[in-house]
Amino acid sequence: MRTRIATTGAVVVAAWALPYGLGSYTIHVVDIALIYALLAIGMGLAMGVSGQINLAQVAFFGVGAYSVAILTTHYGYGFWPAALLSVLATVVTGLFVGIPALRMQSHYLGIVTLGLALGFVNWITNAHISGGADGISGVPGPTLPGVDLSSEYLYYYLEAVVFGLALVFGLFVVRTSLGRRLRAMRDDSLAAGATGAEVPLLRMTAFLLASLYGGLAGVLYSGLIRYVAPETFSIANMFILLAMVVIGGRRSLVGCVVGAIGLTLVREWLSDFSTYAQLGYGVVVVVMVVFAPTGLAGVPARLRGRYERWRGRETARAELRPFTPYSPVERPDTAGVLLAVEGVTKQFRGLRALDGVSLAVHEGEIRGIVGPNGSGKTTLFNVISGFYRATAGTVRLVGDDTTAARPYALSLAGLSRTFQNLRLFGQLTVRENVLVALDRSRTHSIWRYALWQPGVWMHERLLRAQADEVLERFGLADFAAAGPTSLPYGIQRRIEIARAMAARPRLLLLDEPAAGLNGEEVQQLIRIVRSIRDSGTTVILIEHNMGLVMSLCEKVTVLSGGNVIAEGTPQEVVTAPEVIEAYLGESDLAELGMDTPEAADRPDRAKEATS
Amino acid sequence: MYRIAQPLAPRTLLAAAIASAAALTACSAPGGSDKAGSSDSGPIKIAVVDARSGQLSSLGDWEFKGAKLAVDEWNKKGGINGRRIQLKSFDDQGDPTTGTNLARKISSEKYIAMIGTSESAVTIAMAPVLKQEGIPNITSGQSDGLVALKSEFLFLNGPTSTTYDTTLAKYLIQEKGYKKIAMITNNGSYGAGEHDAFTKAAKDLGVTPVTDQVVTTDQKDFSAALTKIRATKPQVVFIGSEEVEAGLIVKQARDLGITVPFAGAAPQGTPVFADTAGKAAVEGTIVSSPYLSNDSGPAAQKFAAAYKAAYGEDAELHGAKAYDGTNILLTALKNSKVATGRKLADAIRSTAYDGLLGQFRYGTDGVGITRTSIGVITSGALVRQK
Amino acid sequence: MQDTLQTLVGGLSLGAVYALVAMGFSLVYRTMGLVNFAHADIAMIGAYAASTFYLTAKLPFAAAMVTAIVVTGVIGLVIERVLRPLENKDFDLMLIGTIGFGIVLQAVAVLIWGTTGRAVPSPLHAAPLDILGIRVRTYDLLVMAVTAVAVVALALFLSRTKRGAAMQAVAMDHEAATAVGIDVGRSNALAFAIGAGLAALAGGLVGPMLYVDASLGGALGIKGFAAAMLGGFGSVQGAVVGGIAIGVLDSYAAGHFQGYSVLVTFLVFTVAIMVRPTGIFGERTVSRA
Repeated sequence: MRTRIATTGAVVVAAWALPYGLGSYTIHVVDIALIYALLAIGMGLAMGVSGQINLAQVAFFGVGAYSVAILTTHYGYGFWPAALLSVLATVVTGLFVGIPALRMQSHYLGIVTLGLALGFVNWITNAHISGGADGISGVPGPTLPGVDLSSEYLYYYLEAVVFGLALVFGLFVVRTSLGRRLRAMRDDSLAAGATGAEVPLLRMTAFLLASLYGGLAGVLYSGLIRYVAPETFSIANMFILLAMVVIGGRRSLVGCVVGAIGLTLVREWLSDFSTYAQLGYGVVVVVMVVFAPTGLAGVPARLRGRYERWRGRETARAELRPFTPYSPVERPDTAGVLLAVEGVTKQFRGLRALDGVSLAVHEGEIRGIVGPNGSGKTTLFNVISGFYRATAGTVRLVGDDTTAARPYALSLAGLSRTFQNLRLFGQLTVRENVLVALDRSRTHSIWRYALWQPGVWMHERLLRAQADEVLERFGLADFAAAGPTSLPYGIQRRIEIARAMAARPRLLLLDEPAAGLNGEEVQQLIRIVRSIRDSGTTVILIEHNMGLVMSLCEKVTVLSGGNVIAEGTPQEVVTAPEVIEAYLGESDLAELGMDTPEAADRPDRAKEATS
Repeated sequence: MYRIAQPLAPRTLLAAAIASAAALTACSAPGGSDKAGSSDSGPIKIAVVDARSGQLSSLGDWEFKGAKLAVDEWNKKGGINGRRIQLKSFDDQGDPTTGTNLARKISSEKYIAMIGTSESAVTIAMAPVLKQEGIPNITSGQSDGLVALKSEFLFLNGPTSTTYDTTLAKYLIQEKGYKKIAMITNNGSYGAGEHDAFTKAAKDLGVTPVTDQVVTTDQKDFSAALTKIRATKPQVVFIGSEEVEAGLIVKQARDLGITVPFAGAAPQGTPVFADTAGKAAVEGTIVSSPYLSNDSGPAAQKFAAAYKAAYGEDAELHGAKAYDGTNILLTALKNSKVATGRKLADAIRSTAYDGLLGQFRYGTDGVGITRTSIGVITSGALVRQK
Repeated sequence: MQDTLQTLVGGLSLGAVYALVAMGFSLVYRTMGLVNFAHADIAMIGAYAASTFYLTAKLPFAAAMVTAIVVTGVIGLVIERVLRPLENKDFDLMLIGTIGFGIVLQAVAVLIWGTTGRAVPSPLHAAPLDILGIRVRTYDLLVMAVTAVAVVALALFLSRTKRGAAMQAVAMDHEAATAVGIDVGRSNALAFAIGAGLAALAGGLVGPMLYVDASLGGALGIKGFAAAMLGGFGSVQGAVVGGIAIGVLDSYAAGHFQGYSVLVTFLVFTVAIMVRPTGIFGERTVSRA
């Protein structure tokens, strides 16, 4: 912490003293570099942090710059009111450009945003109000009493202050609740939805942030250059910006800044050899992507990792500690129905995965769902947790009809789940994985980022304390700062359960929680699930391990071919003739390769290209 | 007491650093005192700023060649006042932001004058800085927006769009008696300038174009616009677009059965235009240009021969314009005994120069030439009309 | 009416070229899951190569095209080797890496062929056909015919040959394909080479219609990409339909909205793709979760 303060202080002093050593040309280049750095932060927030491919960043820049130019020259506004309105206009544009993100992702979104950026350039080239291809000259610069901002040296200080605040705000966003959710959404939007993140709103928020920074950069550009023309906002510059963000490291805002400032300076330095320089950027981008996908920002961590491996030092003697049981609560004598599935049918193209399934789960129960491969177990979970919408039938949670509810709404209503093929947020630490689920605030509470940052901070501290409690309880404290993907499989399973429980659900769905666990781990799992139930959370689990089902579940539902074929105590169902028949048939089915693509089916709401 | 002293150390250091920085600021405002003062010895530094990479780089290439030819000739004769002339090319990539960077750069590297750019938008972006730093600029742009800047440091090395199109409109309407004129222009800086200038010139002569089609600068298929033009059965089609696009338009127009001649300004007189459209397609095209061809006179022939010898390719308008512009600058430098800043600007304004494009006499608006000639492409060559 | 039909003809001929570009995109995408933003720049290199063999080496047009396709196919193999680490990876990285490659190809083209670009005369000298006042260029008919042949040939290759079937198998499930002994690496390389060849075909054919310079890729790329999306990414017939749709949309937008055509084209495209994100024929995703 202390070194961080010292470093920050040193940077601030260096930034303060910088203009004293520079000529008028260099300071101009530095001014431009800072503007690009702002743009790059916005780009990093959308692309690196939120995973939204946004190739319209240069258009946001343009909207900001043009709005200032138009408002000041056509409508006679002063610079500052125009600047404020321009940032607003850019944010509105950003939200508009973000709408397609609700329906599509990755390269689709890339092409659509690129197309909209081209459309913007086309519009400013034609429209009378934007001065057509000649652009708008004579934009008045900003004025401050007592400071001559027409001097590029003093303008530098204005930029430096705006930039500094913007960077700090960006880092604040990334490291607290909102940014964590954005990163969770980037890593796995389905799991993010299941842990209570409102994915559509978050995607819009990503564009809002990107456009906010684009607008700020545009305003500063207009004030500095005092002339706007379409060429500045061309696709070629968009690609340069992209190169900056990639080379610097798209997931780190500081990396984006380093990339932007570095590339702007290198570009100036090599301006006499621009074709070779262009060749150079291209090669560097390809090399970076292939060999250092995390960019310059990721290099220190990689070097450290290599160094530690070379030293052969075990980073930590971390171990999975035993689970600390929850304190049991009194169970009410008459348990009501918590979950009621009534006549649910799910039809995929030509395949009926669920065919009129009905079941009722009472509060405090541990329900097992078993059945051969392809019998529709996971499909049922997906319907209950809102990933699929049932073709027919209803799902009720505590009496409310939740058939059409979105995953995040179900999560907030007290439903949590784990996934058959682990869906942890790979780029988040274990603690952050838990924090995402702990955070029960709604996305609309992000107004506090704009108006009441201490509130965000206090909420954050509270969450962190709770996260430590959860990690401690599940014996994961040693791994709090580790990335989950590097951990052994059994620990990852434990983390998923911890994450699901962090949301304090009333109903917990476990999809094959014992898959891949060894005997000892299965015993631990049994203790954990029992304790979870004793703490007042109802559990439904899908499992192939019949030993586990027999010892843990009070009641078992057997699915086969999308139908409920038996229901009762474990002892009852294993002796039911239908069940024996269904299980006998399974091996034949497996050999015939008739497995219905239970896991491979992409969920309804994931059809936005590749979520 | 002693125990808390240590943790404070970095903070004390910081405070000291901030204090010293504040003290520094208090003493002086930041900023260098690099006035564009020139030294009286050493080479005379002239910058050529143009797009040397990207889409517009061919213009930049031609322009640099023209300017370099002029400088080489002067250096061969011994320079000016015994000083060599040093020409350096800067790449603005066709981007106004880069242009403003370069304006600062050439100022801080003490270039005393600038040739270029061929993109009006870049020149307009650079103009305020050049004016502030006192660096005269001879541009190849022809947009009327350049004149509107009213910078006493900005000079055009050719006529403005208005001149090109007034001459053309007069020829078409008064000489040829055309009444039905169709227009097709692009929405770029050049095309929009041509559109406005020609529309006004024609209206002043009492003719309203029968149709006015606007295309974009990167459009590839013009069927829609050309079909509409064909339906109006015009006597001539005015075209306001750069070489390549104009070539494509004419090629597609001929394929669609439009047989009437096209008329336009300088780009329509270039080989790139003729190559793109095809030799047969451009036959009969009416061109308004101050530099019709490489053999329009002895000066042009001499220039064309020197250009060919130096670069192994045929000279064209942009090279000729830059050659004239550079010669005007060098003449002014010679006349003023290598003055700089405002004095150099004044010297350029008072330089009378007979060049490839005609007789340059600068007015206060920075325009030195207000005449173009009309040529018609006949058997592949541009033939001057009277 | 005549306006409308003539505009349609104009849109169709460029649409055929967009279709070829989109087909290359789609083939590479479905086989190896690589979204190749450098594809159109490969087309630009193909256009330059074809024009060089045709104009400088004085080969007949068809021979120049074939040579260009072979040369570009080889370049395609080299690019595939370099980009191999990106296949099936994070889409961001692919996008950025292939854009980087595009920038490299453009710079290389400028270094080899200069900045001026070149006009390529049409290899057909026959006058345009006049059908009831609608003029159709003979060269455009040639382009459409070549596109049609390429579509049929590709479809036959994928469905009737062993290598094509192997590529289909890889597209569906590369692990299963590996299990049954298909060399996935070779299959991918072949797909990329064919994709590059299709790009060269598009570039070579578009040369005489337009003007060859380093920015040609930009003009073909975004529209070709949009065409692939509109048709359904990864589908061959989708690429054809999407290409023609974009070509025609572009032409009509130019006719009705004049200078604003780009804005209108992309707005319409955005709305269309939002209504149906998987395109007309549905995405043939490489499902490798």
